[in-house]
Amino acid sequence: MTPMSPHLIWFIPLLPFAGFVVNGLLGRRLSKNVVTGVALFCTALPMLLALWLTATFRAEHLLSLVTGHHIWIQISGFQVLFALAVDHLTLVMLAVVTGVGFLIHIYSAGYMAHEEGYWRFFAYLNLFMFFMLTLVLAANFLLLFVGWEGVGLASYLLIGFYFKKDSAANAGKKAFIVNRIGDFGFLLAMFMMIAHFGSLSFGSVFAQVAMHPQLQGGFLTAICLLLVLGATGKSAQIPLYIWLPDAMEGPTPVSALIHAATMVTAGIYMIARCHVLFDRSALALGVVALIGALTAIFAATIGMVQTDIKRVLAYSTVSQLGYMFLACGVGAYSAAIFHLLTHAFFKALLFLAAGSVIHALSGEQDMRNMGGLRHRIPVTFWTMTAGVFAIAGFPGLSGFFSKDEILYHAFTMPGPMGKLLWAVGLLTAFLTAFYMFRLWYLTFFGAQRFEDHLADGHHGDAALVHARKDTHATVVAEPAHGHGVHESSWVMLAPLVLLAILAVSGGWIGIPMALGGTNHFEHFMYPVFSTSVVPHRMLQAPAVSYTLERTLAAISVLAAVLGLLLADYFYRRRPDALAKLVHNTRGLHVTLVNKYWVDEIYAKLIIMPLMMLGRYALFYGIDLAVIGGGTALSAAGVRGTGGLLRRIQSGNIRSYAGWLAAGAAIILAVTIFGRAILHIF
Amino acid sequence: MLSMNVIRLLPEIILTLSGVMVMLEEPMLPATRSRKSLGWFAIFGTLAAGAASLWQLHFPVGTAFYGMVQVDAFSVFFHLLICAVVLVTLLTSLDYFEGFATHAGEYFALVLFGATGMMLMTCSVELLMVFIGLEISSISTYIMAGMRKGQGASAEAALKYFLLGSFATAFFLYGVALIFGATGSTGFAAIAAGIPTAKAPLLVVTSFALMLIGLGFKVSAAPFQVWTPDVYQGAPSPVVGLMSTAPKAAAFAVLLRVAYTAFPTLQHRWSILIWILAVLSMFVGNLCALLQRDVKRMLAYSSIAHAGYILVAYTAYQADGIAAVCFYTAAYAAMNVGAFAVITQVSGVKESLSNIEDYAGIAQQRPMLSAALALFLLSMIGIPFTAGFFGKFYVFTAALHAGHLWLVVLGLINSGIACYYYLRFLISLYSPAPSSRAELLRGKPLSFAAAAGITLCVLATLAVGIFPGHVLHLASRASDITAITH
Amino acid sequence: MMLVNNHILTLIVFVPLVGAALLALLPVRGRSMQWGALAVTLLTFLLTLHLPAHYDYIAGGMQFESNHLWLASPAIRYHLGVDGLSMWLIVLIGLLAPFGVLASWRAIGDRTKEFYVLFLVQQTAMLGVFVALDLFLFYGFWELSLVPMTLLIAIFGRTESRRRAAMKYFLYTFITSALLLVAILWLYARTGTFDYTVLAQMAAAHQISTSAKALWLASLAFLLAFATKVPVFPLHGWLSDAISEAPTAAAMVLVGELGLYAILRFSLGIFPAESHRIAPLMIALTAIGVVYGALIALAQTDIKRLIAYASLSHVSFCVLGIFSFTIAGINGSIYQVINHGISGGALLLLAGMLYERYQTYDMRDYGGLAQTMPWMVTLFVITTLALIGLPMFNGFIGEFLVLSGAFQTHPRWTILATVGVILGAAYMLWMVQRIFYGNVAPKLSTLSAGIDMPDLSDREQITLWPLAVLMLILGVFSPYFLRAIDTSAVLLADKPPAAAAPHVVVLSSATYALPDSSTDSAQGGK
Repeated sequence: MTPMSPHLIWFIPLLPFAGFVVNGLLGRRLSKNVVTGVALFCTALPMLLALWLTATFRAEHLLSLVTGHHIWIQISGFQVLFALAVDHLTLVMLAVVTGVGFLIHIYSAGYMAHEEGYWRFFAYLNLFMFFMLTLVLAANFLLLFVGWEGVGLASYLLIGFYFKKDSAANAGKKAFIVNRIGDFGFLLAMFMMIAHFGSLSFGSVFAQVAMHPQLQGGFLTAICLLLVLGATGKSAQIPLYIWLPDAMEGPTPVSALIHAATMVTAGIYMIARCHVLFDRSALALGVVALIGALTAIFAATIGMVQTDIKRVLAYSTVSQLGYMFLACGVGAYSAAIFHLLTHAFFKALLFLAAGSVIHALSGEQDMRNMGGLRHRIPVTFWTMTAGVFAIAGFPGLSGFFSKDEILYHAFTMPGPMGKLLWAVGLLTAFLTAFYMFRLWYLTFFGAQRFEDHLADGHHGDAALVHARKDTHATVVAEPAHGHGVHESSWVMLAPLVLLAILAVSGGWIGIPMALGGTNHFEHFMYPVFSTSVVPHRMLQAPAVSYTLERTLAAISVLAAVLGLLLADYFYRRRPDALAKLVHNTRGLHVTLVNKYWVDEIYAKLIIMPLMMLGRYALFYGIDLAVIGGGTALSAAGVRGTGGLLRRIQSGNIRSYAGWLAAGAAIILAVTIFGRAILHIF
Repeated sequence: MLSMNVIRLLPEIILTLSGVMVMLEEPMLPATRSRKSLGWFAIFGTLAAGAASLWQLHFPVGTAFYGMVQVDAFSVFFHLLICAVVLVTLLTSLDYFEGFATHAGEYFALVLFGATGMMLMTCSVELLMVFIGLEISSISTYIMAGMRKGQGASAEAALKYFLLGSFATAFFLYGVALIFGATGSTGFAAIAAGIPTAKAPLLVVTSFALMLIGLGFKVSAAPFQVWTPDVYQGAPSPVVGLMSTAPKAAAFAVLLRVAYTAFPTLQHRWSILIWILAVLSMFVGNLCALLQRDVKRMLAYSSIAHAGYILVAYTAYQADGIAAVCFYTAAYAAMNVGAFAVITQVSGVKESLSNIEDYAGIAQQRPMLSAALALFLLSMIGIPFTAGFFGKFYVFTAALHAGHLWLVVLGLINSGIACYYYLRFLISLYSPAPSSRAELLRGKPLSFAAAAGITLCVLATLAVGIFPGHVLHLASRASDITAITH
Repeated sequence: MMLVNNHILTLIVFVPLVGAALLALLPVRGRSMQWGALAVTLLTFLLTLHLPAHYDYIAGGMQFESNHLWLASPAIRYHLGVDGLSMWLIVLIGLLAPFGVLASWRAIGDRTKEFYVLFLVQQTAMLGVFVALDLFLFYGFWELSLVPMTLLIAIFGRTESRRRAAMKYFLYTFITSALLLVAILWLYARTGTFDYTVLAQMAAAHQISTSAKALWLASLAFLLAFATKVPVFPLHGWLSDAISEAPTAAAMVLVGELGLYAILRFSLGIFPAESHRIAPLMIALTAIGVVYGALIALAQTDIKRLIAYASLSHVSFCVLGIFSFTIAGINGSIYQVINHGISGGALLLLAGMLYERYQTYDMRDYGGLAQTMPWMVTLFVITTLALIGLPMFNGFIGEFLVLSGAFQTHPRWTILATVGVILGAAYMLWMVQRIFYGNVAPKLSTLSAGIDMPDLSDREQITLWPLAVLMLILGVFSPYFLRAIDTSAVLLADKPPAAAAPHVVVLSSATYALPDSSTDSAQGGK
């Protein structure tokens, strides 16, 4: 195949933007089909371009293909270009974003069919694609930051898609602001880079670092930690993960695309992209690993008790992202990216399937009101099953290989830290398996716990459905459009099936040699991470590690199976046992159900004090009292003096004569005794 | 061929004669006839006097009547200034007393006599002559202050002004006496010559102080300002316009001549006194005006403050100082007379509008007049491109040049305080009117003469503000007042 | 062309004044005043466009100068000129004026003559400030610019406290300007000239005065006057009242431009050493100002007051950039002034349109408008994004340059200021939510006072879209604008300090592609 001209790369991000412009400005007047057509075309073509690019990409080095020299910012001594760069890492991201993105576009066409503001939805979706592709293609930090903030904007708009609902509006705002906190770190990191490298282009920054082996830690650590702050915001890690669960207010396709498959992985992408910097700072890497591990286990525990199907998936996403962080932290970047890839497949699948379930139940999201759907919606069931087994890490499925990779790297990392991380990872794997099968059982097995007549729902009017339901954790934003419980249309099922296939087979490109594979993926990524601190396996003496790796794999499979059995025990065979367990561990359970009260703590410790400070200390205290009062006081003082002086004007002529005489006396006194007076002082 | 003596006193002579003519004319007119004709006659008299003093420029500087008066650029400058003020006053008050008081004729005559006295003050170089001029001008203004016959306030104003005025002139006379005792002369040149050999230097300084008190009263400088608000409030607006500018100009002129030609050697002594007067006047004037709601009283206080600004210039070196004083006096005259002219027009002889609030809504009823008034107020604040700004600018530059930094800072802080009350007045002009008053505000239509008078002031204020060159040129020519040729 | 270039500035400055005179004489019939003012402002704007079109970017420096003697003694010159600092600001003022007129089209019902006359005089005064190169002339325009603004607030303010607000504004600025005048007079007494260019040269050669103390005081007088006009925390006492009272057209040019330009031109130009000396204090104050303004904005319920404190936060960014004395910082600050003019102006316009419909600025009365006014919400959100510095919008470039510049010299304070980026998003998005999201507030129907205007009228669309487009253009094609600014910024900034740690000249390496090697060569220069 003829290699693709670099200029065409520009079309990959710009086509979706065109789609956004068209739908955004004219969408209200266009027919649904046209809107859909535009949106799909503007995502399909970039996908094809990306495929072409991947097929014909011949480059041996990091960021070896750069295109575009249009200046964005230029002042004496500093300059930023609109430049795109492509390397293998980018290619993987492109594949994920365009591929999954396209499938989800198709799915949305069916899912949102009955929504008001259909055009708006697709405009936003294309806008997101534009920014996400800019993010992965950027050749310098500032352009990456464009995408970085841009996807935040798109997510803000899409989470708040049902802006009539305060909860949705709040969630959107929360997402944006929490991300801003991350961006704050990112900005400072860029300032430091300018200070030290005088440039923001990946090329020159990484080159300068590479050129100075003596650079270890120091300001690099600072830069890395600030970048990590950014990443924790975007990739929903402790301490900034809080926005992601709320983000489920958005329509389900959005959750699938933005809050599972693509945007939230930007943080991992960024760290992998900057691995040249991170490799120089053991501390930063350690922090990354730690954050990852903590988040993984922390989110998993919360996920175990959630009842809203989407929130379970949300916490599972947070937890899986923690996994990827962990991988980066131990320097196994390619493993992280591998997991990112497989996760994109099965998590997108799970969300879409969940969406299909919700769709079938006319907007019901609470798993306690589901059950027994196995036969009612078979396609959804089977695809979801594939997803569940994949994420649980059953052998042969995509999740298995990527997770195994990460755990192996954690374990083989020198020092006790590695073993600890591995243990946490393993425990997380077990919990993951548990809560996923819990979801699986609650949704598809057992007795059906909903009334069918609920189904004569309304078309798209979320507010009405909302009003009609009791909602504690339940959020009914979804298009309730009921012909009773029904399987979704093929527009929605086709993507499910495709994703299911990927979720099953997606991992095969990275089967480690230990398990008789070729580990094609790692070879593929080699040029990018060749400088990584982690010694690459193909360079190791095989025998030892193979056995070790096989044992580790076996253990993690065991964990997964355990999870399955436990879920099966509690949710199928012995629900009463569950009730007893919950009763015995009430405190723990409550804590988990309330997500460790993190939101409340933040509200009390950060938001409230800030508002107080702003309103009382600063506004009333300083602005009104001190500054305003000071002004008023001085004015009053001047007036007062005036008032006193005016007393002289008694209107009484005798007193006037008196004043006159007094004045004269003063003048004369000064004249005659002036010298003397001066002498006194 | 007129003798030099006559030429050097020509403007005064013309004014006196035309004043006498008006006096004689007045009784001959039937009581019902309008007195406008007399007004016009007086106006022509004034114009003639102005022309005459311009003509004087063609002759070499010199004294007349045995060194009693001296005609030089300085005197001419103030002659012209006084003529201009009188002219505008007459124009805007032609029909002021129409149908209100009988014998309006005497008003015009008094204006002219007053002007004569003031002119005499500005050109005399001999203290007794100064005193005569002072008395002429004062007495006529005393009477004019009471012109709103039958109005208690007016009569009270006249009486207060008269009593306190004579009290103050007494001080002046003492001063004259003392300096005569000290140096054996009342001629400026002789005094200057005599001071070094004076037996009792203390007498000399004291005499200056006493004269300063007398003149300070005339220019209503604190602490001799007490009479001002009451008198201004009571007296008829046009008269206030006149007496708040012309006599002051004259008094300042005298103070300049006395200070710089008779007592130049003692500047280090008297500049302290004037420093005090200046600061007091600025603060008293501005602070009292802050709370003042009565427009005329407010302007009275503002005139005190302006006197303070002018006094600042006396502390400077001779050349800058005199020029600055001359310039500021002119600028001040333009805007102040203008302001009172407008007030005369909108408020009428009944003084229907007294408080600031009463002026609310004028802008809709009489846009042109209020625009003019706004301009004058802005000029008093000292907004750039108006006469007032350059006035302040020159005064403070002069003071700073002489190194009086603190005086300048105080002065500018004062101009900051001042803008509060001017602005408040200005804003109320443009505030919506209570509908009930609309009729009252409409007032009587603007006569041609008045329009002409106000236009003159507007043009003057703008011209001096944008192209101060010419006035400045005159002023700096005037600043060379020590040149006496015998 | 020569002829035009020599007189273009005079034209730009005095066309509005002539327009004002004409309007004053014109009778008020129908919308005669509006149309007249619109014509004049548009003409002025077109004239200002002449500057960027014919500015010689290679040569840089002062251009389009006209320099005549005004007064022999004191030596006052009618000296006008434009360089990179002022050029785009002039265009900005020219640009905002027509929008101001359009915004007042219906908002100012009666006494239109007074309004538009004052408005045009204000134009002349402001444009004069930007072109005057003679200190005296500058001071003239500077003071003149106070009056119309004060009257606009005092006469056309929206509540009863309008006079108080106007007075406050006037006194704050006038009294500090009085001290400025003292300093100017002192300079004249020392040097015998008011001419900026001469003074700047003397300053560079340390010829103005040997007394460091005197220079220090004079520089303080300058800075105090300018900082009050900007305003810089804690001199912002007049700000919130003035903004919340002022009619939209006036509020659009009330904050920022004049003071910031004056600081750049005169404080830095005539007192370079003193400005460096006070820089740490200014950096601290502005960094505090950023956060202070943002936190208070977070606590506001009145849209106008929120905008006021937001402006405080924004202009603090600009001043921060100036006193970092880095190329990036100064470039950024000027750029940010322009952005603030455009985006802040747009926000005020939008707020004004809401007010026209519902007679309230209280956010608690609003809600759910997104359902009834899709275009309004679209534009409002765009403006919001521009203001909170989303990349690809103008605000980002300014903020980024300012902060990255300031970070080089004062990292700690810059970190504090960067917090403003977070808070900014918070209060703006919260405002958007309170006005537009959720269900339609019951109160609105009663407030809308019969006249039901669902969405933006054509006039309003015409008013807003150009600004929205400009926000994008300034965000994407910044080099075109920065070109001129940079030429002047370089002169004001310190030589870039030899950066810490590995500061290295990058050799282009075989294994790394270097997309923007020009950057690195520039770095190499360091």
